[in-house]
Amino acid sequence: MCDEVTEQKVDITTSVMSKNDRFAADNRELLGGKGIYTLNLISSPGAGKTAVLESMARFFGPRMAVIEGDIQTRRDAERIEKAGCQAWQIETGGACHLDAHAVNHALSHMNLDPDSLQLMAIENVGNLICPSGYDLGEDMRIGLLSVPEGDDKILKYPSLFSSINVLVINKMDLISHLDFDVDRAIDECRSLNPDVLVFTVSAKTGEGMEEFCGFVENQFSG
Amino acid sequence: MNGGATMHELSLAHDMTRIIGNALGRKVHLDRVNITIGPLSGISPESLRFCFTEVAKIEGFGEPELVINLTRAKLICLDCDTEYEAKDFYQGCPGCGSISRRILSGREFTVDSVELEEGND
Repeated sequence: MCDEVTEQKVDITTSVMSKNDRFAADNRELLGGKGIYTLNLISSPGAGKTAVLESMARFFGPRMAVIEGDIQTRRDAERIEKAGCQAWQIETGGACHLDAHAVNHALSHMNLDPDSLQLMAIENVGNLICPSGYDLGEDMRIGLLSVPEGDDKILKYPSLFSSINVLVINKMDLISHLDFDVDRAIDECRSLNPDVLVFTVSAKTGEGMEEFCGFVENQFSG
Repeated sequence: MNGGATMHELSLAHDMTRIIGNALGRKVHLDRVNITIGPLSGISPESLRFCFTEVAKIEGFGEPELVINLTRAKLICLDCDTEYEAKDFYQGCPGCGSISRRILSGREFTVDSVELEEGND
């Protein structure tokens, strides 16, 4: 990495994300090698990541495991375990995002038996900015936006919404009370990200969840 | 994780000093650190500068000037196929005004080189 020291200037030319990207490649190899499909779920705090995962846990049962990223507490992992899936909690102790090294460490503690496990869902720290730069080794990156947050959030956080594969719009049970324009949100997301796929759901009522879970299932059983 | 950093520019500043320390094989006072940031990297240059100044001092690299080469993103318009450069996510196609595009580059973030303080080489 380091060239000869010539006079006083030392050439380095190293991507700052290279260490993260090496761990991401390791995670991809480990999980991919076992045929486990991996999701990275990113949203603001309170958009319903854990509620969506609870609903997914009821659909997939023990075929799914979840890595929970939170600043503090095991609360989310306990909710997922109650819904029927293995869960590992990463307490970041203040960090605003998960990185591939933290996920690598979590994986080393989990039961990754490919006979029973097909899907690994990683719930990132609630934040629309910092997680977007960190590849965790996922096969699919999902951005979750809930309708109370407003339909203007996509263009306000382009770094995230341009990097996702799938947009899930949650809390659709509240849509009649709000001014959220679903078509506008989808149009703006596609303008940043022409290949994005969109699902509208309510994790609370279950609306749209079967279609979304079926789509995820097709990614690894198709 | 990342020394308990609380925002991602602070994590990135720690990553930068780790990369510099590994490349040099030692901790020395630096005059200048040259980096490249793409406008679509999600990194705030001013926030990074603030964090790096503190981290470099704490980590034993002195008080180097952080020189940021801010590149332009390369995009291709999906409506008229024009390839163009932009300084942020919001700049549309200069040909047709569309913001429907594919990103070719603009997320890069590299430590390019460092310049040592006199008497350190």
